[in-house]
Amino acid sequence: MGWPVTLPAKGRSFPIALASFIVLQAVAALFFVADVTADLWTTALGAHSVLEALVTSVLLIGIVLSVAQLRWTLREMEMQGRALEVASGDFVRFIERQFDSWSLTDAERDVGFLALKGCDIREIAELRGRAAGTIRAQLASIYSKANVAGHPQFVSYFVEELLSRAAERSQDQTEDQPKAAAS
Amino acid sequence: MSLATTKRGGAEIAPPDPWDPLVRITHWVIAGAVLWNGLISKPGGTVHVWIGWIALVVLALRILWGFVGPREARFASFLPDPRRAVAHVLSLLRGRVREHPSHNPAGAIMVYALWLSLALVIATGLQMTEWKNPVTITEEKAAVAAGDWSVLVNNATEGDAHSEDMSLSRLIKEVHELAANLMLVLAVVHVAGVAVESMALKRNLVRPMIRGRS
Repeated sequence: MGWPVTLPAKGRSFPIALASFIVLQAVAALFFVADVTADLWTTALGAHSVLEALVTSVLLIGIVLSVAQLRWTLREMEMQGRALEVASGDFVRFIERQFDSWSLTDAERDVGFLALKGCDIREIAELRGRAAGTIRAQLASIYSKANVAGHPQFVSYFVEELLSRAAERSQDQTEDQPKAAAS
Repeated sequence: MSLATTKRGGAEIAPPDPWDPLVRITHWVIAGAVLWNGLISKPGGTVHVWIGWIALVVLALRILWGFVGPREARFASFLPDPRRAVAHVLSLLRGRVREHPSHNPAGAIMVYALWLSLALVIATGLQMTEWKNPVTITEEKAAVAAGDWSVLVNNATEGDAHSEDMSLSRLIKEVHELAANLMLVLAVVHVAGVAVESMALKRNLVRPMIRGRS
């Protein structure tokens, strides 16, 4: 049981735009480079051709920087995706451990996951091909095993765990920071 | 929030993002350039030369990316290894296939073959146009069209100087055409290879090259 992790589509369009820009920039640069080399080849070294050569080299540096930027962005996206996957995997494992400790049945586990994802009774019944009454009974059994009053408390049980871990982590970070600054 | 999202996960083994945007864009620009110059544009025409120069830049960019790009795009991930390529084709024939994070060993050989023949076509093409950039060529053609034939005279005296030069330029022209035809044949084999590999792996290998993910 895993929840698929995909990056939002919005984050993907930037590298595409940047890569297209690099290709266009490189094509444009080539004609400047060709022109400058032709000028330097055929005519004597003059202020005009020197300036042209300088402008062209600035353009080339721009391309190199864009390539570096693209590389950096792609690496960043990859790392974010991996971190998100790890985090979501950890969370799912935590939920599964919790379900184990409450000794939920297989059917109850599936219903529990769907309830956590925010499905209501009618949706769960539809997805699992069971009667709404069956799902209601299974949910009641889950809530009593988990010792919670109902759906909101059931969800907040897991959200609370996430938030308390996040709080611990940020505390660790603030403790680490002065050390890092000192070293 | 559908059953599909809960059923998924764990079953997919496909590498998530094999081709980054630069790989995809350079791939399709070169594919377009090869098809256009090989089949449609007038050989030696201004458009033909422009496209050739664009292909030169894009190829150079891809080679640069082969050193500094992400892991899947780097040459180090798909070094040419004929023995593994043969082994890959044999296992494909036996119906046993394996996922590769970058190009598969046979695909890698194809990539290098395509790049080499493209480089050969570009180099001979540049020699045939005397390394003049397309802007100059366009200007010269405009001048000739306007009645100023002086550029032609210059070219003619340079060209006629030695008969050895003539036979050499004829050889270069032959190589240009031969390498271009070879590249078109390789492209057909490449597409066939992608089709066979897609069928064997039971997933569409073209889609990641368009959308960046499978």
